[in-house]
Amino acid sequence: KKISKILISLVICLLVNQGRASDNQRLFNNAVIRVQHLHQLAAKMINDFEDSLLPEERRQLSKIFPLSFCNSDYIEAPAGKDETQKSSMLKLLRISFHLIESWEFPSQSLSGTVSNSLTVGNPNQLTEKLADLKMGISVLIQACLDGQPNMDDNDSLPLPFEDFYLTMGENNLRESFRLLACFKKDMHKVETYLRVANCRRSLDSNCTL
Amino acid sequence: MRNSGAVLILTFIAILTLQAAGVSPPGKPRLTSCRSPEKETFTCWWEPGGDGGLPTTYALYYHLENSETVYECPDYRTAGENSCFFNKNDTSLWVNYNITVVASNALGKNISDPVEVDVVYIVQPNTPEHVTAVVVHDEQGPFVRVSWEKPRTADTRSGWITLLYQLRVKQEKDKEWEEYNAGMQKYYNVFSLHPDKEYMVQVRCKPDHGFWSEWTQTTYVKMPDYITRERSLWIMITIFFVFIVVILTWTLNVKRNSVKLCLLPAVPGPKIKGFDKQLLKSGKSEEVFNTLVIQGFPPTTDYDNLLVEYLEVYDNEEQELVQDGKDLSEDCMKSKSPSDIDSGRGSCDSHTLLLEKCMDGREGSGSNQHQYSQHGETRWASTESSESQDPEPGSPESANGRGKTWPVVFPSPQPQPHHHYPVGAAKPAYHSVPEILNHLSPHAMSSNYHQLNHQDILQQERRFSKPACRHSQSYNQFNLDGIDTPAPGVAPSPSLEYVEVQRVNPENMLLLRPLSDPNREPEGSDCTREDYSKVKEVTSNNILLLQRDMSHQCVDDYSQADQCTTQQPPHPCKPAVHQSNSGMPQEAIRVMGNGYVDSTVLMPSY
Repeated sequence: KKISKILISLVICLLVNQGRASDNQRLFNNAVIRVQHLHQLAAKMINDFEDSLLPEERRQLSKIFPLSFCNSDYIEAPAGKDETQKSSMLKLLRISFHLIESWEFPSQSLSGTVSNSLTVGNPNQLTEKLADLKMGISVLIQACLDGQPNMDDNDSLPLPFEDFYLTMGENNLRESFRLLACFKKDMHKVETYLRVANCRRSLDSNCTL
Repeated sequence: MRNSGAVLILTFIAILTLQAAGVSPPGKPRLTSCRSPEKETFTCWWEPGGDGGLPTTYALYYHLENSETVYECPDYRTAGENSCFFNKNDTSLWVNYNITVVASNALGKNISDPVEVDVVYIVQPNTPEHVTAVVVHDEQGPFVRVSWEKPRTADTRSGWITLLYQLRVKQEKDKEWEEYNAGMQKYYNVFSLHPDKEYMVQVRCKPDHGFWSEWTQTTYVKMPDYITRERSLWIMITIFFVFIVVILTWTLNVKRNSVKLCLLPAVPGPKIKGFDKQLLKSGKSEEVFNTLVIQGFPPTTDYDNLLVEYLEVYDNEEQELVQDGKDLSEDCMKSKSPSDIDSGRGSCDSHTLLLEKCMDGREGSGSNQHQYSQHGETRWASTESSESQDPEPGSPESANGRGKTWPVVFPSPQPQPHHHYPVGAAKPAYHSVPEILNHLSPHAMSSNYHQLNHQDILQQERRFSKPACRHSQSYNQFNLDGIDTPAPGVAPSPSLEYVEVQRVNPENMLLLRPLSDPNREPEGSDCTREDYSKVKEVTSNNILLLQRDMSHQCVDDYSQADQCTTQQPPHPCKPAVHQSNSGMPQEAIRVMGNGYVDSTVLMPSY
């Protein structure tokens, strides 16, 4: 009887795990899709911005291009394939989480910089999307942790310069462009990390294609 | 001070000299492009600006955006001439590279414009590999399945890079390519290709954020020759319909007769007895019509006898009638029946004896029917007038008559090919007009004409045989006595019979009743008689056609007694007195006395 009970519980656990796994898989796929969409959104925004520039503004922009000093620079993120491959899934998820989180607040000023069809309907659309994605990633992290204690120190790191972008004038052309460029870059980062993480954990995803 | 100035001047002179000699510092190089094939390494190419005539060396320097450390290109060779290859270790993603190229020669150097590059956004993969195009035969029809491999360097398996593929197809002769997006899959089925044609296929790929790769080498594929299902279906349908049409045509041809009958029903030909179509076709109308004539009918012999039987002698009363009718003489003279086709036998022959016209002027004395034959024979009226006081019945007129014409007996001008004559009692009612006249003795003739006027009968009933007309009756008797020889032509009927006109119906038919009893009172209005006949018409042979009518109703025919007397014309024939005030120009039948219908008899010459 005991053995049977153990067996049954094991089976249930497996099923639940599998269920959870399948749930996890679905969540991962969902996260990848969401971040991909955000990246495309960011790309479109910056393209629209560049298109709306006047020729002299464009010249001005090219001259003073250094695109450094993104807000997310403080976050340690793998910058190459090898690094990414070496990073654990949890690490990747955490980094993604931080990146998304760092943009939650400044995204409000993003809508102000670009007035296009993307943000006309809902100015907070971007912020909401970021919030949703952040929540999803946190769930994935929890799933990945799966009972393990949270060893991440970065969670408690305060976001430096919350008003980093806000100090920059809104009407400043350069700052606007930098804002958009940084957003696009960070979204791409998250997308890459999540994809890699997703492909790593499941062999039957699109990665094998 | 002097030294620096001297150096400057010397340098200046040297440069000028050098330039005059054709050498100069190098031109400004330009970075053309930087590309990363797999998002792990990248390569930059530049374009030399001009070497200035001296050997020039190029160096590429870069620094990352967040540091000031300048590095030089680690590899100038791998990527070829004027290129710089950054390997994995030197490549950092999501970091801007600031790259410049410096060209230097003996005289100087030149620096290109800096270029900011983020490796993530300069990804251009290599072309797909191993493109194959295979024809697959399907029940729907053959199609081409194109398959390929990913570029070797791209790491899609780990999800590091995501590639999207695209292929294009065209025939050799086409100008435009047909492009298809294959997504992330490595094969594609191309449909709707034309049979028996050769197609060119190319494939390329692109990362989700990056540049399209180059097109692969052309792969050729030839479609087999096949008939599409749709076309074969149409062919079958066409054949089927052609078959049906052929069958129908053949059937129609076989049954063309019955079809003809169905579509064009036979028109019944003329069914006239004795009528020969062939004769008609031959065009000899005379022969045709001659065949219609029945020999021996009507009996044309013994007209004289017949007529003689019916001759009447007129007395003074008739003369009065004659006088009354004088007025009409002129009218009658003038009027002639247009339809009188009498060929010479007197107007009595014609159906349309001018009674109608004569009746126009009549007021009530319908007795005088003055008719003229086409030959202009004198009227009765003239004869009448000449003998106004002649007691002899009808003699003056008759005597004068150079050929009086009998009035037309019959109202209906329709020539009927069939001679309709009553049987039996009606037989004696034949009246052959002209012969009667010819054979009559002057006296007889004069008294025995009978003029029948057919007046407008539509509204009024004819009244006959008024009591005042009794005199005519006596004449009748006279006539009857005088003529006791039955007409041999009337052989079938040995006894003669007077016919009493009883009524003229609206059809212009004179209804006759045979008078079996000479003493019969006309007023009796004996309606019990069955045998009476109605006069149908006068034929061209001057025969009065009578028709027996059994459905007669008694009509008061005797209301106009006076008129009866006045109407009696002094004709040898016995006229039937009619009364009609309508004056319509119709033929009228005059009834004399009892009103026997009598044929018109040509007035003998008085």
